[in-house]
Amino acid sequence: MQKRVSVPRVLAVAGCCAAMLPGWQFAAAKDNQEGLPQWALDAAKTRTPDYAKDSGSVVLLDEYVETIDAQGRALEREREAIRILEPQARNESCEVSYDVDEKINYFRAWTLGADEKQYQAKQTDFYDEGSEEEGMVKDIPILLETEKHRIVHPPAADVGATIFCESEELLAPWEQEKFWQIQSGISFVDEALEIDLPEGRNFSASWHRFSPVKPEEVAPNHWRWEIKDVPRLDLRDVKASLEWEALAARMSVTWGDAAVHGKDDEWRAFGAWYANLEAHRSDPTPEITAQAQQLVAGAPDFYTKLKDITEYIQKKIRYFVIERGIGGYQSHPAMDIFRNRYGDCKDKTTLLISMLQAIGIQAYYVPVDDRRGVVDPDAPSLFGNHMITAIEIPADVKDPRLQAVVATKDGNRYLIFDPTNERTPVGNLPSYLQGGYGILAAGSASQIVALPVLPPETNGTNQTGTFTLSPDGALTGTVDTSHSGPEGADYRLFLKYTDEKERREFWEKLIAHDLPGVVLDSFQFVQPSDLEKPLEFEYKVTVPEYSHAAGPLLLVRPRLLGDDAVPFDDKPRKLPINLEATGRWHDTFNITLPPGYVVDETPDPVDVDAGFASYHSSTTAKGNVLHYERDYVVRQVEIPADKAAEFRKLESAILFDEKGAAVLKKQ
Amino acid sequence: MTKSILLRGAALLIAAVSPVMICAQFQQPTDEELKMTADPKAPGAAAVYLDIQEVENDPLHYESFYMRIKVLTEKGKELATIELPYLKGNWKVGQIKGRTIHADGTIIPLTVKPEDLMIAKNGDLQANKKVFALPSAEVGSILEYYYEIHYDDDQFSSPWWTIQQSYFVHKAHYQFTPFKAFMPRGTPGTDTSMVLEDRRGRAATALIWWPRLPAGVTVKTSVNGSYSVDVTDVPPIPDEDWMPPIGSMLENVRFYYSFTNNGNEFWAGESKYWSKDVDRFAEPSPAIHDAVNGLISPTDSDLDKAKKLYEAVQALDNTDYSRKKSASEMKELKIKEVKNAKDTWAQKSGSSEDIAMLYLAMLRAAGLQAYAIKVVDRDRALFDPTFLDFDQLDTTLVALMTGGKEIVLDPGEKMCPFQTVNWRHSDAGGVSQSAQGITYSITPPQLYKDNVTQRLGDVFVDAQGGVTGRINIVMNGQAALHWRQRSLREDDTELKKEFDHEELEGQMPDGVEAHVDHFLSMDDPYTNLMAVVNLKGSLGTATAKRMILPGFFYETRSRVPFVKEEIRQVGVDMHYARRVTDEITYHLPDGATVEGAPEDANIPWPSHALLVAKSAGQPGQITIAQTLSIGFTFAKPDEYQDLRAFYQKVAGADEEQLVLAINRTAQAGPAAPTAQTSPSAQAVPVGVEH
Repeated sequence: MQKRVSVPRVLAVAGCCAAMLPGWQFAAAKDNQEGLPQWALDAAKTRTPDYAKDSGSVVLLDEYVETIDAQGRALEREREAIRILEPQARNESCEVSYDVDEKINYFRAWTLGADEKQYQAKQTDFYDEGSEEEGMVKDIPILLETEKHRIVHPPAADVGATIFCESEELLAPWEQEKFWQIQSGISFVDEALEIDLPEGRNFSASWHRFSPVKPEEVAPNHWRWEIKDVPRLDLRDVKASLEWEALAARMSVTWGDAAVHGKDDEWRAFGAWYANLEAHRSDPTPEITAQAQQLVAGAPDFYTKLKDITEYIQKKIRYFVIERGIGGYQSHPAMDIFRNRYGDCKDKTTLLISMLQAIGIQAYYVPVDDRRGVVDPDAPSLFGNHMITAIEIPADVKDPRLQAVVATKDGNRYLIFDPTNERTPVGNLPSYLQGGYGILAAGSASQIVALPVLPPETNGTNQTGTFTLSPDGALTGTVDTSHSGPEGADYRLFLKYTDEKERREFWEKLIAHDLPGVVLDSFQFVQPSDLEKPLEFEYKVTVPEYSHAAGPLLLVRPRLLGDDAVPFDDKPRKLPINLEATGRWHDTFNITLPPGYVVDETPDPVDVDAGFASYHSSTTAKGNVLHYERDYVVRQVEIPADKAAEFRKLESAILFDEKGAAVLKKQ
Repeated sequence: MTKSILLRGAALLIAAVSPVMICAQFQQPTDEELKMTADPKAPGAAAVYLDIQEVENDPLHYESFYMRIKVLTEKGKELATIELPYLKGNWKVGQIKGRTIHADGTIIPLTVKPEDLMIAKNGDLQANKKVFALPSAEVGSILEYYYEIHYDDDQFSSPWWTIQQSYFVHKAHYQFTPFKAFMPRGTPGTDTSMVLEDRRGRAATALIWWPRLPAGVTVKTSVNGSYSVDVTDVPPIPDEDWMPPIGSMLENVRFYYSFTNNGNEFWAGESKYWSKDVDRFAEPSPAIHDAVNGLISPTDSDLDKAKKLYEAVQALDNTDYSRKKSASEMKELKIKEVKNAKDTWAQKSGSSEDIAMLYLAMLRAAGLQAYAIKVVDRDRALFDPTFLDFDQLDTTLVALMTGGKEIVLDPGEKMCPFQTVNWRHSDAGGVSQSAQGITYSITPPQLYKDNVTQRLGDVFVDAQGGVTGRINIVMNGQAALHWRQRSLREDDTELKKEFDHEELEGQMPDGVEAHVDHFLSMDDPYTNLMAVVNLKGSLGTATAKRMILPGFFYETRSRVPFVKEEIRQVGVDMHYARRVTDEITYHLPDGATVEGAPEDANIPWPSHALLVAKSAGQPGQITIAQTLSIGFTFAKPDEYQDLRAFYQKVAGADEEQLVLAINRTAQAGPAAPTAQTSPSAQAVPVGVEH
């Protein structure tokens, strides 16, 4: 499959298991001295639509033909025509990705110059690159792939020119689903997907954020979908947005086991395929069993057993992997992971399932995406980038510490857990997963499950500061913060990947946003080994010029630290609003005022409850102490666009409060 | 027999990743090493190198590398992943061995076969990397690995030892056995009839080396002709904001097979080749003479002639800003590769280098005295004469001699006005042609008065603290050049988005949104570039009796540099001197009067920088201005405390507030301007020196 290099974020996968998508493919260049093929000449006649005129380029044609053989293996042909409209698209290129088990049969490119002159790319215009490294820690990669990319820069790709690329590639034998990215970072005029199936083989199509289109049967069991005029999706100016991949339209067609009718059956088939792929990978060896039994020895209850096992995986298994071919989907055997003590998200899940199995607890794979909204319950597909675990909860276990629980249609309860997230304790769930969906891969009981949204009490920060303001405006004080749940996990992860110097720099920079010129006198993180317990952070600061005289007045902003306000605008809203995480954030600041000053005015209290979130604050003066307190509670991770007015009102109130100043007067 | 010296690039590729050695015997860790949980020599470090050994043996065509690393924190575990880049073909990664030793002494050997991944392939040239992860890495583990790189018998390489690493190094040993011809006469097995040649066909008759080593450490020679360095307690590579290009400052030792044993002779020789090439390329051929005669008049002054020719070459298609034609496209269009100035002029197109050389040719054809200067792009590196590679010089400038003065010109920089030089090429070292021959040279630094940005605006405040307004950002010098060059690569829509993102977002007060409406004079490098910015939002906070506004509209917040860095290891590189003036007129709501305004301020760092702030009120409005002048490019480490003290005062001064007393009985806001007005663009300054 070709991929335009310059298109931003098209199927770009970040996060844990980047290669959960079937590989893009490769191709070989030939120096055929042919003129533009007829399809290219036809595409070149397409007029540039008005809606594309503020883009760097526009795709006039993008057509895929998937020819499926009797064994279900796909041969993919792609034709693409891109017109260059602006200078930034001058280096537009085409790309075909390929992995082990795949072969590019041909890859050609042409250009029709702005002056109508025709060019064909030669071998010297093609080159190959390895996959980008996903995730880096101080220049050290943590995820690499064997996938490679063949790239062509068609000649004479200047403004006004149209470039054409055509490739044919034999895809890996295990790929039985085509992801069709209907929407991209640039606009499409004409798009088509064909699937040519052997007699008797079925297909199933699903659509994400796009009204389903009926295919035309252009030959026996050869189907064609056509779409016209899809505008680009540009989220750069959209505040509080979901991830691009969650909002971009796509279609998926499968000709494998999941080519069945009915969404439930499709999800079941995808889950069963996955469970089958991982069959026996998690079988515990005697060493794994011994380790698991040793870990839970003496554990008084189900939760403690889980905690002992999951913390072992979280703390002992380093994140690192090189994914080869189907390794984008399939984990390594548990015994290898256990021995090497490293692996990716699939590997961590495999070892977790294995260790739990060794102590009699059943657990399952749950393919997900770490970008909420990407996995769509209405669009059955394997599209995703991450793997987590569903742990079956025995019917007699009722433990309030097990928060992230889903109940399936068959009445079973599962605890959802992400073993790749090294710091979120079992029972809780990282915020990026909450409100998303995953495939419970449990054989014939496989199904799509909604991942829970946890109550605000499971996440957040409590911050208390005590300060003294001197007559010259200098502020000194001590701050104690306590971070719990996923937020605490984020801080723990921050500590993992930083040294003392980097922590100081990061923290000083963060505080300086609110307290310019701040000096961090001392700081200390208290990180209990028990992940359930909050991470504590204590620090002392001096701000030489915090308060400023304005004539006879001294101005003091009582909200000393922390920004709860989310940038937003007053543009009409069509897309859902991302609140990121549920939680509760509470700040208390006491400022002892300098002698000789009295409080003349304080900011008005704020009291807003929008349902999905609430914000309360107050500033009071008692004696020579200015007391500020606020409480911010978020109850949902995402709200629909029609709540934009309420969201705007809430954010305005928070912003107003955060900027508010108390006015001191000299007595 | 003659053999070519291995391309330096191949060696660099490997050296970039791996420091290095020999002896595949792993070491037994000491109890002290096993028990170590922190290192007093590297407080807070995530890991330390206990041992590094790198051995190059050119006669045997191999290199070996040995590392022993102590993991001290979770972050340090990442060093268990090792990447070994190599060039496929003549180079092979040989034996790889590794193991992890836990703090209790348990040894877990590396058994997984390293993965061989392609980095890139272009034609016959392919770079790969071997990747592996040491098993069971834990905090407290010692990571130990060894590998060899073998190269073909017809390949020869002299090493480049990078002494400083990302983490503290306790002990390192480097050893190099050179090509047989450079070993002491009489050493057994060193007889050879082979002669090494460099790319110019000069016989390599000397082995030279340049050390940049800690005090007291030297390169030692042995009786058998090998060279070695032993170092202990090497601090890690500094990582600080506003550093000069750090790669040019690290401790290292470079060996060279050379035609000379003298560095100055090397530069003299290489510069001579360069100068000859320049003169050949910039030969004022008849075609160039014809072109020049059509562009200038004999009555023009030297400076006018130079400027007219400058404009002519600036108007050409500079492919560094448009698109370089591929080889196949050139063939299709029957365009020849540019070999001299005549070709560039004929094609009306060329790279920055081609255009600079064409300009030199045209000046010479016009009878003007002009020379080429070759410098290092200061954004990338600093000129290092001990680095014997002429290719470190990557930019051609032109020196025009007129009126007894030298004027440095930068014709390869599209949109760069005549007599302006991109900061990347100013204060930059290199070599220069001159009447006296070829010399080392440093181009002049930038002056702050040549790089001025003014942000002049009117902000209309309503009774609730809401604001609308307009700011005109007027730029000349480097800021204008930067955005004009960006405009060559992006359309107007993209450019506005980028400007919003880079120049406005994060600098506006919270609650205020600002977007570029349009640019003025983007295409004319001789006029100030102006970005017209519209803004709206909520700025002030109102109480019962007052409204409080930020005194200085532009918020620097945490962006004021240096405030948080108490100590500094390396100097500060500001890139170029500059002056930024903010002048905002607040139009007050009806009934509002100024109760308190930012105090006038004058904060100097003598001979280096100055902040001046001033406000002036009139009925219904107040203008607040602030000018920050940075008159230096580099500050040495021993100047850092003065620099930091200055910026701390700047950060504090930025937080001044404007307090308005509000009469709530009169509540209408002032009339906002129409879209065409931009009052402050013509406003009289309030006393701040511009």
